[in-house]
Amino acid sequence: MTSYQSRLGGGEGVAEELAESQRSISIAEFFEKNKHMLGFDSGARGLVTAVKEGVDNSLDACEEAGILPDIYVEIQENRDYYTLIIEDNGPGITKEQIPKVFGKLLYGSRFHKREQARGQQGIGISAAVLYSQLTSGKPAKITSRTQGSDEAEYFELIIDTDTNDPEISVEETTSWDRTHGTRIELEMEANMRARQQLHDYMQHTAVVNPHARFELREPKNHFKYERATDQLPAETKEIRPHPHGVELGTLIKMAEATDSYSLSGFLQEEFTRVGQKTADSVIDQFRDREFGRGMSWHPPEAHEEADIEAAVTEAVSNKGAEATTEFAETIADRIAEHDRIAHHQVEEIVEDVGDDVQVEYGTTFGGTVREKARDAAWDAITAERESDLYTLVDDATSTRKDDAVLQAIAERLADKFEPGDPHRVTHEDLEKLVDRAADMTEDRDDATFGDTARENIVTALWEAAVRVPDEPPHISGIGDDRDAASNLLEAMRETDIISPPTDCLAPITDELVEAGLRKEYDADFYAASTRDASVHGGDPFIVEAGIAYGGELEDGGKVDVMRFANRVPLVYQRGACATTDVLKDIGWRNYNLDQPGGSGLPNGPAVIMVHIASTNVPFTSESKDAVANVPEIEHEIELAVREAARELKSYLKKRRSMQQRKQKQDKLATILPEMAEKLTAVTGEEELNIDNTLARIMNDVLVERERENGSVEVIVENNDDRNADLEITEIVSAEPETNGDAQVIEMDGEWFIKWEPTVESGETETLSYDLPESAECEISVDGVESEKLTVDTDQ
Amino acid sequence: MSTKDTPDAREQLMALAAQFYDQFDEGDVPRMQLPTRTKSNIKYDEDKNVWVYGDRTSTRTAKTVSGAEKLLKASYAIDFLVQQIEQGRSSTLRELYYLSESWDLDEAQFASQDESNSLIEDLEIVSGATREDFHMRPEESGATIMGPLELREQTRRGEREIHCQKDVGEGGYQIPNNPDTIDFLDNDADFVLCVETGGMRDRLVENGFDEEYNTIVVHLKGQPARATRRITKRLHDELDLPVVVFTDGDPWSYRIYGSVAYGSIKSAHLSKYLATPEAEFVGIRPQDIVEYDLPTDPLSDSDINALESELEDPRFQTDFWEEQIELQLDIEKKSEQQSLASRGLDFVTDTYLPERLDEMDVL
Repeated sequence: MTSYQSRLGGGEGVAEELAESQRSISIAEFFEKNKHMLGFDSGARGLVTAVKEGVDNSLDACEEAGILPDIYVEIQENRDYYTLIIEDNGPGITKEQIPKVFGKLLYGSRFHKREQARGQQGIGISAAVLYSQLTSGKPAKITSRTQGSDEAEYFELIIDTDTNDPEISVEETTSWDRTHGTRIELEMEANMRARQQLHDYMQHTAVVNPHARFELREPKNHFKYERATDQLPAETKEIRPHPHGVELGTLIKMAEATDSYSLSGFLQEEFTRVGQKTADSVIDQFRDREFGRGMSWHPPEAHEEADIEAAVTEAVSNKGAEATTEFAETIADRIAEHDRIAHHQVEEIVEDVGDDVQVEYGTTFGGTVREKARDAAWDAITAERESDLYTLVDDATSTRKDDAVLQAIAERLADKFEPGDPHRVTHEDLEKLVDRAADMTEDRDDATFGDTARENIVTALWEAAVRVPDEPPHISGIGDDRDAASNLLEAMRETDIISPPTDCLAPITDELVEAGLRKEYDADFYAASTRDASVHGGDPFIVEAGIAYGGELEDGGKVDVMRFANRVPLVYQRGACATTDVLKDIGWRNYNLDQPGGSGLPNGPAVIMVHIASTNVPFTSESKDAVANVPEIEHEIELAVREAARELKSYLKKRRSMQQRKQKQDKLATILPEMAEKLTAVTGEEELNIDNTLARIMNDVLVERERENGSVEVIVENNDDRNADLEITEIVSAEPETNGDAQVIEMDGEWFIKWEPTVESGETETLSYDLPESAECEISVDGVESEKLTVDTDQ
Repeated sequence: MSTKDTPDAREQLMALAAQFYDQFDEGDVPRMQLPTRTKSNIKYDEDKNVWVYGDRTSTRTAKTVSGAEKLLKASYAIDFLVQQIEQGRSSTLRELYYLSESWDLDEAQFASQDESNSLIEDLEIVSGATREDFHMRPEESGATIMGPLELREQTRRGEREIHCQKDVGEGGYQIPNNPDTIDFLDNDADFVLCVETGGMRDRLVENGFDEEYNTIVVHLKGQPARATRRITKRLHDELDLPVVVFTDGDPWSYRIYGSVAYGSIKSAHLSKYLATPEAEFVGIRPQDIVEYDLPTDPLSDSDINALESELEDPRFQTDFWEEQIELQLDIEKKSEQQSLASRGLDFVTDTYLPERLDEMDVL
């Protein structure tokens, strides 16, 4: 850092000189120097990012206006420059807003909203404008026509990077064939090396926005992505922030901006899920942090030296003997009712009793007298602290601790509480206090106090301390006081508060995820799942997953992964994304996919998509390419993917069984005619027709057994057109382990495992149990005529 | 082994083919039922004193690919056997295996000789005939007889009368594939001694044990072939001679004794022709290993498994075998017959066998 100490150099005016060269930089200028933070780090990537920002904007605009999006993207190549055109059928932008939306960074309506939306900061499209003007020197050309207006507005503008304000060079009205919508044309230095990412982005966007129609025209290509549904995404509701989801800076800003006066009102007004009760809990927690608790002590007992009554009597003068006695006695009695008592409680009693006695005896017990009485009583109570602390420490620590050691630490702790002080302590104070006392004791008395012992002592002391009734400051005071705000934030986080409402989220829904996959991928199988909403921090989120498998999807190599956050495809930094991490950790072999080494992305002709919808998707960086590793989100991703994968598994299993069946049919269709021919030759009879036999074999109830690593699966496949009520018995030579749906009987060293499954026509049932590999097993099947039954347990 | 009560083999094979044909014709699935050939499905036949298959059956059906392949192979084999019987020719089991290579359909060919052997066994069981009836023979096993026995063999080159001591060399008389072509003429024998290994058999002959004790020494050559077991049974049944079996002291050798005395699991359908239930076990017993302090090898894991499996084998569930096997599991040792040589070359003929045979009331 630059040194500002002008005296060191000797000469006057260095600081002034330095100060002259120091000035605030505009946000636009900052991003000009830090393009990579927004995803504009290279020509190839810049083009993709610009398309992405433009399309995201268009989609958001259309959806907000309830219009089914129709978005056209065109990329023209003219030597070293590319022209990017993005056109939508959105509601259009008013003449006044156009320059701000496109010519001012951080201009937007959504930054302060808690709502699921694609863009949030209002950086995206204006960053694209900035990138375009920086690389080509050309202004952005914007045309927009609002619904119902006769003409369209046309602007040419650049961003003044010094002031972060639009600089308009052309402003006119023009005619446009669209009845409403917006069109932006940007010229930029770019290249098409990231063509694949661009195509991925467009296709992935089409998958998660099945309600939108896209068209992409490139110099040499032309793609159309049709609409799969007319159903717009559910409208999202804005929610107030949840107390668990705000950060300190936000909290201070909210405190400054609020109309509320009291802390309780602020909490209830500005946050979701906070009512009177929750607000009270938060305020209690806040008090503990802001004011500390009052340490409490046993009042002295009869045999002890300290005598509250005597002390109070002595502290009171000139109030008449009777009134004084009544005052002192009542205080002493009321205090004695408490097992433990804190300073503020003594104060309360003195106030109470003072009022009563005042009324009864007509003598004024003023502030000074009361103060004296309070101090006298408190002195008496706190005269002896060691035995109190000894009891607390003894209860909190394990029985193995030496008595002398406990005595020693109790003594040291007692020393930290000055007799007569009100003994206000925060949890943090107690920690320090106990630490010091424990360290000392370790040092001097050759004892050990581990972390757990110390924690236990702190907890015991904290519980012995009593919450104080001090009034919390008004909210405006908290806005001005960073420490108080920090205490409030901690109090909010520590209080149990129900999760935020989730109707602010609009998942794509499993049906439309599947529809999206279906329209973009020609596969054999599709599955999708949408989880229920969940919460991380104060932000609700929903995870959805989809899988497409087989068909025209490319086989050989890893599956394709599509990541989405709030319906926006994440194209870059796949390796840094929580989604990828979760997918790699799933044991895909369990789902019948090939996974070399048992970890990492599986192989196969499949696409796996994961969508995270949230009011605040936690990204690893501003360029919003990768989702951060938040455990709650990772957990939900895993569950969503596993849900879809389970469907894939049963599909693959069924497919494999179909394949085997086909193979079997083919094989039998070769073998049996040959056998029939041979038999005809041997017997000299007429030629045989074996069609009926073949049909009978293929419409069977097939029972197969698979054994692997001590687990056995009996698979029953009903190929008949009627349901099969079966009675299946395995006779095994060692004790099996079954999962409860089977009945097991032992007889003469053999175990009979019996199931009674009903297998519906065309369905497959799997019965499983564990059996040592060396054991023999033999199956018998009843409930289906023998000619319809095939038992194939050879393997 | 053309015993008179076996049905006409050709008829039986034709009947099986007709059964398959009819099953097809009725739109049914071709199948044949066979007794389950496992240890758990053999039972003691009290009348014949042998172990035979129990009631459990398994069905070969064309419903599964492997079942269909077996039935296809069976159909091809039936065709071949019927022609062979009609033409009065014969072939070996190995020839059948190679012959299948010439069958035009890949699925009909045998994958191994074990497969063709077991198919012939299936056909034996289903038809009630024996493979000799099908004109199928095994390769010569090379097992021999030496002892005071005179017999007449019907060879393809005419009748031969042979004395199994005087007319043979040191190698002895070689048992033909079909011992039912033999008639016993005369003998001076007191008992039959079946010996597992060639080395021990040669030792006995060199030491003149057969002459000294009027013994017919049958060389089993490991697991005995059907012909060896058949002739042993005939020596016992027809000449009323006691039979004793002398093998190594390990679990595999007990199984050799078992197949002589009780019949094997694979050919339990033929036990009544092949097994000699009265045959007794001489040794080497685990008890001998202890008593004679014989040189030993440690039991391997597979030895231990085999012993444990024998404890569960119904054929070995006698007091004698349970006691001996448990003793062996306890000492964890095994010995060969020839380990007796550690006491001198004559120990087996001068001491061990006379002592054991005396104990067993054979001498």
